Amino acid sequence: MDTERLLPEAPQPEPLPDWEEDLARVGLVRRAFMARRWYGPDWWFVVIGSVIVIFLTLVALFPQWFAPHDPSANVGPRNLAPGEKPDVEVLVSLEGSGVANLRDLASGDREPFGVVVGTPSSEIARAAADTIGEETGERIRLRIQRFDTLEEMLGAVADGSVRAGAGSNIAIEEVLDDYPGVTIQGSLEGAEVTADTSFILGTNQLGQDVLSRLIWGTRVAFLVGFAAAAFALAIGLPLGLVSGFTGGKLDRVLSLIMDSIYSFPGLVLAIAIAAVLGASIFNVVVAIAVVYIPTYFRIVRGQTLAIKEAVFVEAARSIGARSWEILWKYIFPNVIPSVAIIFSVNVADAILTGAGLSFLGLGLPPHIPDWGIDLARGQVAIQTSWWLVTFPGLAVMFVVLTLTMLGEGLIEIINPRLRDR
Amino acid sequence: MKRNRLLAVLAVSALVLAACTSDSDTTTTTASDSTTTVGETTTTEGGSSGEKVVIIGTTDSIANLDPADAYAVHDWEIIRNTGMALTKFVPGGIEVQPGIAESWEPNEDGTVYTFTLRDDVKFGDGTDLTAELYVRHLNRMLNLSGTGSGGVAGALGTPYIACVTPGAEEGQCDEWGVKALDERTVEITLTGAYAYFPQLVATAAYVPSHPSFPEDSLVEIPTEFPYYGVGPWILESYTPGEQSVFVQNPHFFGDKPKVDRIIVRYYSEASQLVAALAGGDIDIAWRSVTEPQLLETLDGTDGVVSAVVPGGGIRYFIMNHNLEPTDDLLVRQAIAASIDRDEIVDRAFGGNAEPLYSMVPPGFLGANEAFDDKYQAPNLDMARDLLEEAGYSEDNPLQLQIDYPPNRYGGVVQDAIAIVKEQLEATGMIEVETVATEWATYLGEQINGSYAMGFLGWFFDFPDSSNYVEPWLYSGGLGSGVTTQDNEPTPNFTTPEMIELNQQAATELDLDARAALYEQIQELWAEDVVTIPLWFEPERIFYRDYITGDSSYDNEETLNIGATTEFNWVVLDTNK
Amino acid sequence: MNSLLLLFVALGVPTLGVLVYALVTGSPGLRRHVLTRVALTIPMILILATVVFVVLRVLPGDPVTSSLGPRGNPEVREAMRDQLGLDLPIWAQYGRYLGSLFTFDLGNALTSGRRPVAVELGERFPATIELIVPAAIVAVVGGILAGTLAGSRRKSATDYGLRMFSVAIYAMPVFWLGLILQLIFAVQLGWFPVAGRIDPIVSGSLERVTNLLVVDSLITGNWAALGSALRHLVLPAATLGLILLGVFLRLTRVNVIETLQEDYVAAARARGIKEGVIVYRHALRNAMIPVITFIGLQVAILLAGAVLTETVFSWPGVGRYLVERIGLRDYTAVQGVVAVFAIFVSMISLLVDVVYSIVDPRVRY
Repeated sequence: MDTERLLPEAPQPEPLPDWEEDLARVGLVRRAFMARRWYGPDWWFVVIGSVIVIFLTLVALFPQWFAPHDPSANVGPRNLAPGEKPDVEVLVSLEGSGVANLRDLASGDREPFGVVVGTPSSEIARAAADTIGEETGERIRLRIQRFDTLEEMLGAVADGSVRAGAGSNIAIEEVLDDYPGVTIQGSLEGAEVTADTSFILGTNQLGQDVLSRLIWGTRVAFLVGFAAAAFALAIGLPLGLVSGFTGGKLDRVLSLIMDSIYSFPGLVLAIAIAAVLGASIFNVVVAIAVVYIPTYFRIVRGQTLAIKEAVFVEAARSIGARSWEILWKYIFPNVIPSVAIIFSVNVADAILTGAGLSFLGLGLPPHIPDWGIDLARGQVAIQTSWWLVTFPGLAVMFVVLTLTMLGEGLIEIINPRLRDR
Repeated sequence: MKRNRLLAVLAVSALVLAACTSDSDTTTTTASDSTTTVGETTTTEGGSSGEKVVIIGTTDSIANLDPADAYAVHDWEIIRNTGMALTKFVPGGIEVQPGIAESWEPNEDGTVYTFTLRDDVKFGDGTDLTAELYVRHLNRMLNLSGTGSGGVAGALGTPYIACVTPGAEEGQCDEWGVKALDERTVEITLTGAYAYFPQLVATAAYVPSHPSFPEDSLVEIPTEFPYYGVGPWILESYTPGEQSVFVQNPHFFGDKPKVDRIIVRYYSEASQLVAALAGGDIDIAWRSVTEPQLLETLDGTDGVVSAVVPGGGIRYFIMNHNLEPTDDLLVRQAIAASIDRDEIVDRAFGGNAEPLYSMVPPGFLGANEAFDDKYQAPNLDMARDLLEEAGYSEDNPLQLQIDYPPNRYGGVVQDAIAIVKEQLEATGMIEVETVATEWATYLGEQINGSYAMGFLGWFFDFPDSSNYVEPWLYSGGLGSGVTTQDNEPTPNFTTPEMIELNQQAATELDLDARAALYEQIQELWAEDVVTIPLWFEPERIFYRDYITGDSSYDNEETLNIGATTEFNWVVLDTNK
Repeated sequence: MNSLLLLFVALGVPTLGVLVYALVTGSPGLRRHVLTRVALTIPMILILATVVFVVLRVLPGDPVTSSLGPRGNPEVREAMRDQLGLDLPIWAQYGRYLGSLFTFDLGNALTSGRRPVAVELGERFPATIELIVPAAIVAVVGGILAGTLAGSRRKSATDYGLRMFSVAIYAMPVFWLGLILQLIFAVQLGWFPVAGRIDPIVSGSLERVTNLLVVDSLITGNWAALGSALRHLVLPAATLGLILLGVFLRLTRVNVIETLQEDYVAAARARGIKEGVIVYRHALRNAMIPVITFIGLQVAILLAGAVLTETVFSWPGVGRYLVERIGLRDYTAVQGVVAVFAIFVSMISLLVDVVYSIVDPRVRY
């Protein structure tokens, strides 16, 4: 969405009220504090917004300080709900079959072993077999047989078509009586340890920690947001300054080009560019930045046009200041405040656009921990694992909200037309 | 291209064998009763009460409806429901039964087939199908295919049907070995003795196209509807991105379908499809629902039946034998020794797939587990030894790039690739970079042989073991660099032996001998690591519990979709 | 004549009418302004078309391979390269491309049956129009009402609440909002259909004239179809509309606040006129003009939002078509979409601009 529309026209000269003159006499920090008296809640929006942004920047810079786990590592069972603890996994076998432990399956051949689809049993059993294999030097190779239901699996154990099986302790105990001869042989090695862990925001379809992915995702979001906005700024600002200042044919041509791009649906352009460039962070940044260049151009040009007629610029000109000096010393500093506001709203916007691109599968490479990718992948789980689509969505919303509130507050404070008289 | 979806069948070997060997027995089989209802084409007042309607949702879309060129699953489904080939697969099974041909007979050496057409085959507009019209279709297919987006003839036509009079230039043909002997008899001359030819002519390429389709150009998507074939349905209308509507063909020679109207609705994402079924917008969700979470969603929805089709696609890595570092056999073997298929199946699919240890899936003639026998993967010690032998170490790790299409085979592939990366890096001697590229670009690069190690899927064109071997040995080896683009084996690799074995197997009529040949090929395959088979992904169908299939055929619970994964709508009924 | 051309004629006639009206009745200043504006529209479209051409011609994929597949034979490939002019020098390709734009022949798509792009867009564009118009109504009506409320109670809890709401709704990824609305109201509660434009069974009975289903069912008096089309429209239109509502809310609020600070409002207050009357009769009326103009500018945002909304709700419009064809690297189709968007956006902005300059004499030209 576009940010310039939130903005006031160029600041209009207006007699300074007394309190503002008071403000001008105190130091910067005190000035900021004193200002809250006149701006009320907007002042608080800016302050709180700034604090959050600083904190988030810290998170984005040093996610490893905050994240409890590696975002791409398999740290627990798949699809664990927030705070949920997995059951203990136990080994079951037929009484008298000679299988009381996974060790008894170390025959050199692949031994049929039953598990239920959609449970962590297979993973835990194979991990346990590997651990034992390393200790004893004798590999245990399981031929995993996947059953749709626990009943089918236990039936297979009972009729001997698999040598043993694994499943959740609680679930098996409930139905064990129906399978005479099948006994629980104790927990799988290491299963007690996993059963102790839980994750604040749960785990995803790969057993990765959702919280850690959110935290690392902050880095990507900020990188894309800030880099795209900065990129657009770096091109749009100088073009706008020069175009507005020199005027003439150059100004007309540049304005026409920028207006054309500006009037076009940005996401559509970004989609085309991202599709052409292929998936990478840099490419996404470029695709988004191109869309925002006209925003800076238009605002800066407009302000330059207004300021260059101002008395102080005329004065500078009359004492013989050179063009670039006027541009740099007098016009540029006056453009900065509005550029800063657009920038903050623009970063928010770029994060949203980036998420949209990822949702369409045109954004970042899939292995990067990114909110947009997690959202796109999580939408399939919206009915089964609500946390996968909820938290990344909230994260995007929170960051965009914060940056927008910051920008909004700044507008309210800077825009003189809206001040109480 | 059909190659990305494919097949496989568990426990069908006996059937395949029967089908392969019993051609001469079936020549006398006559088609089932032919209650022909002739009448006016039903008009299109939708929603009239008492009409039975079934709505099928899909994420596929129509790409090409000309049987002479189409080569995609959804197109084939429509072509085979609105039309019928010479033979057809029995619903729910894999046996071949008479289609529009009531009988057929090979000559003595098996290189010439004579098909006798039924005398009551009519297109939906009442036009009779004659042998001459059928031959016209075959010529369209052989001559035109490849000028459109499908190109089916290159896979299922020209390699098998002989060229009687070659054209002036190489690769051209003036006259194909297809002849109408009389009103009802078609003779087809082959390039060799293919025992599975009666199965080949059950594919959509052998469904006759309507006489109004021009001789010299394709009709990929008709501009006028209805679209008529000789099958039980008429495609009454098609609204792109929205739906296609099918009504009964009053001129169809076979049994009348039980429902009056089939509507296929098109969805953009599998998750939308699942939501639409859960929300009651559609009656059936068919194909491409593979994400474990979506499966769980539907398993937990009241009134929705979920069933696993006994067929589906295989997924594999294709290893380029000409590019570094995979030109080194030791590297290929080390990779094969590091991949833990059980872990992929557990973590990416939640167990809803099967590990695959050979390109020829279980159930097919001669299928074995050659990769497991040889590598017993995950076998990190073996992998490390091989890598050391190849000159790599922990300080000088192998740099490997894996390329894959992120959405073509479902988003779950992204997870699988991430797991493979972990597994290879667990050797401590491989550093993996994974690169996702959108399908259209990916496919072109893959064919050009730009990827050292790339991910692909395959679904059989016809259910025979040869269809799991040949595609990688010929036609440039699908980018594997095993053979050159002009189908000449590259001398440096072990493939001449494999090609020789494959040629023997294709024409070997003794089943045991044929099975033994395929076993040998698979062992060589694992030794040479032509490709690395990963997993078998069964298709699933989901439907509302008031929808039923036909209990007189196999696999009623999957609405009679069998190992061929062909969905024959004739079986459908609704009690809504 | 294809329906895409029809659509542009439908849009072009009122635009032309307004232009003629402005030129005939307007002041010399207005006339000059209108003429300049018209003259600028053509280069605008050209510039966009050029940007797209440049972007797409560096595509890494080979359009011929993605269209024909690996087995397409060499002659056919050559023929297709020829047909697409891929072997011509880049400037010649550019010339062909511009030529095709002006004749409104957007070429044949490279995939999915290779139908003419103009025909395909003709089928899809009405669906997008039918989505964005109600969305705009939701956004404008909701935004103006809420914005007036917020502006008239400046710095009250209502004001801050509504502002928070407007920012929060703007901060939501549109597809996320769509997914959530879909889950709650379609899947869980079952009040609305999950996706699509119309019930598949009802659809058969509806004669498609304009392919705007609501219009078609009204014309033909098919009430079942009208009900079904409207029910299908609720969730997508609400999703897209809500996202934009925040923007209109803020704009209205600012304008209402400004108007309430005008001297005549103070005078009205002094005369004892009720606050409600002041707000809704005076302030709102004056605040409306910039808000209405703003709708023209929002068309671009609506189209961009439609791309995501259409994907979430499987809405068969141009946005979904674009995403599909991007995935297939279908050059001609993508070029066609962008060209049509460019023309559409430019025409709307021309129309709004001229209407505004006629209606509001304060506009400087």
